[in-house]
Amino acid sequence: MPVEIKHSERMRKFKNKGKDAAALRRQRVEVNIELRKAKKDEQILKRRSISFRLMDESLSPGEERRNEIIQLSLEEIVEAVNGSNMELQLQATQATRRMLSRQKDPPINQIIELGIIPRLVEFLTHADNAPLQFEAAWALTNIASGTSDHTKAVVEGGAIPAFISLLSSPHMHISEQSVWALGNIAGDGPLYRDALINCNVIPPLLALVSPVTPVGFLRNITWTLSNLCRNKNPYPPLDAVKKMLPVLICLMEHEDKDIISDSCWAVSYLTDGSNDRIQIVVDTGILPRLVQLMASPELIIMTPALRAIGNVVTGTDEQTQAAIDAGVLAVLPCLLRHAKPTIQKEAAWTLSNIAAGPCQQIQQLITCGLLPPLVELLDKGDFKAQKEAVWAVANFTTGGTVEQVVELVQSGVLKPLLNLLLAKDSKTILVILDTISNLFLAAEKLGETERLCLLVEELDGLEKIEALQTHDNNMVYRAALNIIEKYFSGEENPDLQPGTGQDGLYDFSVEKQDFNF
Amino acid sequence: MELSDANLQTLTEYLKKTLDPDPAIRRPAEKFLESVEGSQNYPLLLLTLLEKSQENVIKVCASVTFKNYIKRNWRIVEDEPNKICESDRIAIKANIVPLMLSSPEQIQKQLSDAISIIGREDFPQKWPDLLTEMVNRFQSGDFHVINGVLRTAHSLFKRYRHEFKSNELWTEIKLVLDAFALPLTNLFKATIELCSTHANDASALKVLFSSLILIAKLFYSLNFQDLPEFFEDNMETWMTNFHSLLTLDNKLLQTDDEEEAGLLELLKSQICDNAALYAQKYDEEFQPYLPRFVTAIWNLLVTTGQEVKYDLLVSNAIQFLASVCERPHYKHLFEDQNTLTSICEKVIVPNMEFRAADEEAFEDNSEEYIRRDLEGSDIDTRRRAACDLVRGLCKFFEGPVTGIFSGYVNSMLQEYAKNPSVNWKHKDAAIYLVTSLASKAQTQKHGITQANELVNLTEFFVNHIQPDLKSASVNEFPVLKADGIKYIMIFRNQVPKEQLLVSIPLLINHLQAESIVVHTYAAHALERLFTMRGTNNTTLITAAEMAPFVEVLLTNLFKALTLPGSSENEYIMKAIMRSFSLLQESIIPYIPSVITQLTQKLLAVSKNPSKPHFNHYMFESICLSIRITCKANPDAVGSFEEALFMVFTEILQNDVQEFIPYVFQVMSLLLEMHKNEIPSSYMALFPHLLQPVLWERTGNIPPLVRLLQAYLERGANTIASAAADKIPGLLGVFQKLIASKANDHQGFYLLNSIIEHMPPESVDQYRKQIFILLFQRLQNSKTTKFIKSFLVFINLYCIKYGALALQEIFDSIQPKMFGMVLEKIIIPEIQKVSGQVEKKICAVGITKILTECPPMMDTEYTKLWIPLLQALIGLFELPEDDTIPDEEHFIDIEDTPGYQTAFSQLAFAGKKEHDPVGQMVNNPRIHLAQSLHKLSTACPGRVPSMLSTSLNAEALQYLQGYLQAASVTLL
Repeated sequence: MPVEIKHSERMRKFKNKGKDAAALRRQRVEVNIELRKAKKDEQILKRRSISFRLMDESLSPGEERRNEIIQLSLEEIVEAVNGSNMELQLQATQATRRMLSRQKDPPINQIIELGIIPRLVEFLTHADNAPLQFEAAWALTNIASGTSDHTKAVVEGGAIPAFISLLSSPHMHISEQSVWALGNIAGDGPLYRDALINCNVIPPLLALVSPVTPVGFLRNITWTLSNLCRNKNPYPPLDAVKKMLPVLICLMEHEDKDIISDSCWAVSYLTDGSNDRIQIVVDTGILPRLVQLMASPELIIMTPALRAIGNVVTGTDEQTQAAIDAGVLAVLPCLLRHAKPTIQKEAAWTLSNIAAGPCQQIQQLITCGLLPPLVELLDKGDFKAQKEAVWAVANFTTGGTVEQVVELVQSGVLKPLLNLLLAKDSKTILVILDTISNLFLAAEKLGETERLCLLVEELDGLEKIEALQTHDNNMVYRAALNIIEKYFSGEENPDLQPGTGQDGLYDFSVEKQDFNF
Repeated sequence: MELSDANLQTLTEYLKKTLDPDPAIRRPAEKFLESVEGSQNYPLLLLTLLEKSQENVIKVCASVTFKNYIKRNWRIVEDEPNKICESDRIAIKANIVPLMLSSPEQIQKQLSDAISIIGREDFPQKWPDLLTEMVNRFQSGDFHVINGVLRTAHSLFKRYRHEFKSNELWTEIKLVLDAFALPLTNLFKATIELCSTHANDASALKVLFSSLILIAKLFYSLNFQDLPEFFEDNMETWMTNFHSLLTLDNKLLQTDDEEEAGLLELLKSQICDNAALYAQKYDEEFQPYLPRFVTAIWNLLVTTGQEVKYDLLVSNAIQFLASVCERPHYKHLFEDQNTLTSICEKVIVPNMEFRAADEEAFEDNSEEYIRRDLEGSDIDTRRRAACDLVRGLCKFFEGPVTGIFSGYVNSMLQEYAKNPSVNWKHKDAAIYLVTSLASKAQTQKHGITQANELVNLTEFFVNHIQPDLKSASVNEFPVLKADGIKYIMIFRNQVPKEQLLVSIPLLINHLQAESIVVHTYAAHALERLFTMRGTNNTTLITAAEMAPFVEVLLTNLFKALTLPGSSENEYIMKAIMRSFSLLQESIIPYIPSVITQLTQKLLAVSKNPSKPHFNHYMFESICLSIRITCKANPDAVGSFEEALFMVFTEILQNDVQEFIPYVFQVMSLLLEMHKNEIPSSYMALFPHLLQPVLWERTGNIPPLVRLLQAYLERGANTIASAAADKIPGLLGVFQKLIASKANDHQGFYLLNSIIEHMPPESVDQYRKQIFILLFQRLQNSKTTKFIKSFLVFINLYCIKYGALALQEIFDSIQPKMFGMVLEKIIIPEIQKVSGQVEKKICAVGITKILTECPPMMDTEYTKLWIPLLQALIGLFELPEDDTIPDEEHFIDIEDTPGYQTAFSQLAFAGKKEHDPVGQMVNNPRIHLAQSLHKLSTACPGRVPSMLSTSLNAEALQYLQGYLQAASVTLL
């Protein structure tokens, strides 16, 4: 937990043992519970196929023009699906698919309640009836796109092996629809993802990737691959990851932005984990490409690429160095100044983890001109980004040399940092107070304590720190008090305390012991 | 205890007795209740009584007793017995909510507190139905009940505003949101509707508005940690309603009270907070609503009156605008010239006006007024908020804002000129406006440090400030006088020196003003001007320039201390101190009168010391008088002793704790002024200084150590001959100090003085003990500070007694001890020593160990010879610490390192740094070279061979440099 991290940071400071960079680096997830809406710029987990697509039209030519949409009641559907008339089966399946494809409130529950899923799964195996296979696949895709329970119904209907074998269907549109369905199943969570992997979904899926695969199809494959890389607890099996990675890296070189985006998302999932998982990605040599993509004008590419690099720098110093060598520091200034708050935030988070590194890396951060955008962000950024920027400054002052800290102060960090003491977030305030203590430690070494005091006062920091002495949060008020009073360890050594002698003065005496320092 | 009528009756009687004014009745009853509170059913009996007792006083008493019982006992502490039995806990939780809701308000509050104490422990896991139970009451339609629920919810949820994010906390919040957010929203809507249906029913409106305030507070708590999905989806509902409430007014809700904020103000104030929360944290989502709130809030400001009851609302509202207008993407909301003009005219200027309440404070509560106006404890005031808004607007619109205000300033000055005695407040506002417009950064020490270049501060000063101060009557328009003096004070770095010089006699003149604020400001302004720096680190204003004014300055300052209300005015006393320090020997002619006045003051305030700063500056002034006079005439020390000792004795005898540390410091200063052996009057006091009771107070320790050091410097021989029996007591003090991590360095100061000054034979028998003590501390609780002091001490010892003596005493304590100390302490830690003198002591001491200690050459210690030399060279080649220049004139109490309220170090009692090896060794590097040379002549060939085989190349190069500089070669 962050509080503990801070505590151990303090301990390290006291013991002068130098910091342990791994503890300063913050993984993405600090808290598993979310109060917010699911993030809008995350990649979509499951997708429903809504509108009629070109492929659909080419499949049933003239259907739209003839306007012959056959309306069937649910009862009629059940009857037809369970019946043996192939024409009716097709009509009913198509009607089902159409209902499930409508824009608003698709009746997924009702369809599931009809109990026709096993039958639809069975249709998938009717290799002699491609239209039926396709309609069933589509319908099932859309059912699987719903909630976990919906996906579960499809999986329990036995759809996994059926879809996997359809990957090798001679009809490209059926194979593509299966890719989509499998993507929805994989997107449900680690359980089904691994069920798919155990059913050997990866080899036939990868086999579909070729220079002649149409772009639209390739998009679906990339998306499904990304879902196979996604989710933790547990992570996808390592050998599966190793199989997918080379293909993902090829896909990242594609010119289609959706394909690039989804392959970046896939890599971002693979890097969102322990250092050995990060290492697998670093070893592929893909970091320079990812950094290049971070600078893409396309938000959908920039976001996952930044996310992936952000994850990499949560790793070891060497992994972080690999990202630095790939040029991440040259791209970050732009991203820190990006108009979109979430990009600012992710960029600042990335920076904060680089700032948690050894002072050589901090030096590179200075040399590459990261301080001005960091200060700007701290001053004017969105609050989410400001919070991360505060962490960046905190880590910088913990690990930086005195000269580096001076440079930080000279770049004007103090004013916006002190202003943020008004933030409505206890943690941020505490981190700032710790940072101020770090600054004072540096100032003491330089004999500049008095100047720093004046500066803090001039920037209205003093009155803010004073006001925090009445903060409701215990740790915040103690940290503020400490800064005002400075640390003071007044503990006594009871064994050495003299007693009082007959004259009422202290007795000077001691028992000898064995010494060993 | 059974739930029986008999027990209820007994309990009632005891409760009644706890209210008895007679302690003989009350105490036993309280004791009895405490003795039975562990019994089962006790809390249930209390609940029964508070519900059913016939007497209201018993009901209330039972509810308070119940709450306190819960507070003491509910928490289950690990490894301690559960103090409330499980069945009681269940019964309490089952009954308390309905009971709270059906009780009258007085009891409801107690039970509501009790619920939140229980909730803090049990909610949500061990009290799963609490939320549903509360939410269900929303439907009751009874606002007495609803407000009870809301109040309880508020006390349960308000911790979300300050706690750190954690899984546990967020799980709870999520649970609360799931159960509470929708019903709260519905209640909010319903309440607002009821407000319009009951728009003409004053008593209903009061209840409904109390609910709305609580709802708005709950909104704040629930939205604090992050923006919950529910509230994001329902932002429209909440914000639209908040917005319309901001614009709402209803005559029935207006209160006659001018001071106390009414419901309407409290609600609007909370809504401003809510909007500010969203604007700060959830800007992306809140953006569409923000412009509406900006407009509503400034309309609110324009229409809100000057009464004190609106202060919180107004300052919250202005702070909201101030925080928004600084954000680049909202710049456009303000940039229109009309908008800016209207904000300046209708929001800023009116809130800068000097109000009746300010006038009252100026006259009747001047201390508070000064604190607010001068020291910036004005965070919540309207003026301050308006000032912040000016600063915020200046970030993007400095030019236009300055232009608009210049117009206002001019018109206000014209108004004033028409009829000063009626319109003086216009000038006050004009000065305030100029000040807030011009100041961009400010510190207590330097005044304004960054000013708006568009404002011509000097011109304003000459045309509008000086004329007021030149006026014949110092008592006319006191507020404007205070404004003018403050102007000089804060813009002292912007106004040219010649103007400051013109002002000085004016300020001295205003020391005579009757108004406390005016003469205080005059004293403070003088003090600040005297601390300004000129070129070459001298004062800007010189003693020579002050020469014509010395007499009148001193006279007026001391006279000001006799004005009503200013007998212990710290600003005046500080000005006295600063004047002495600036004027130096030109005050000597006045010293007899000055010292008499100061001792009289000292005697008077020592009866009841209440103004710590005043007292501090008074002692500083005494020290300055002594130093300045004795510098010119050392024999004068006797006359100071004569004047002061009587008062000092009284202070020591009466144990005036606040003053004792000061007295010791002044005595040290006086004692150090003596050139000869210590006077007997001091020796008589010596045993008393060793009394443990004095050393138990941390504030006494530094000045007492300093005083004992002065005794040792001047009187070591006298102590050895006439007070030898007190030496163990003296060393006992050292032992006491060394035992403390905070005070060990003081112990070393004392020990160093003992070693340096006491005749060796007088401490011979204690030396081994001293080292054992130090080693013990080193072994048990080593700190960097201790090690640094320890290293300095053993090297000083080595210099004084010789390296061989050091080795022998170490090894006599434990075999091979000397080697262990060298290897584990001296060699690895010596680089930590800081301070020029300290480093020098260590260098000379180590040189002795290297060159004057035979066991270093021919025992197993020899292997440490090279590492020790290497460590010494490292010590030499570290970057030197710059010594702190002699800037004591500029020192403030706040700046003095180590200042704590308990200690009170006097800057002007300070002593020069003492260098015990000063005469012996000038350049320690050369000294090393010479000593090595001497060693090498004693045993030719050994030193060069050791050096060439083991010393690292870089160190060797440095060493060769020393040898060259000393023109010696090693044999």
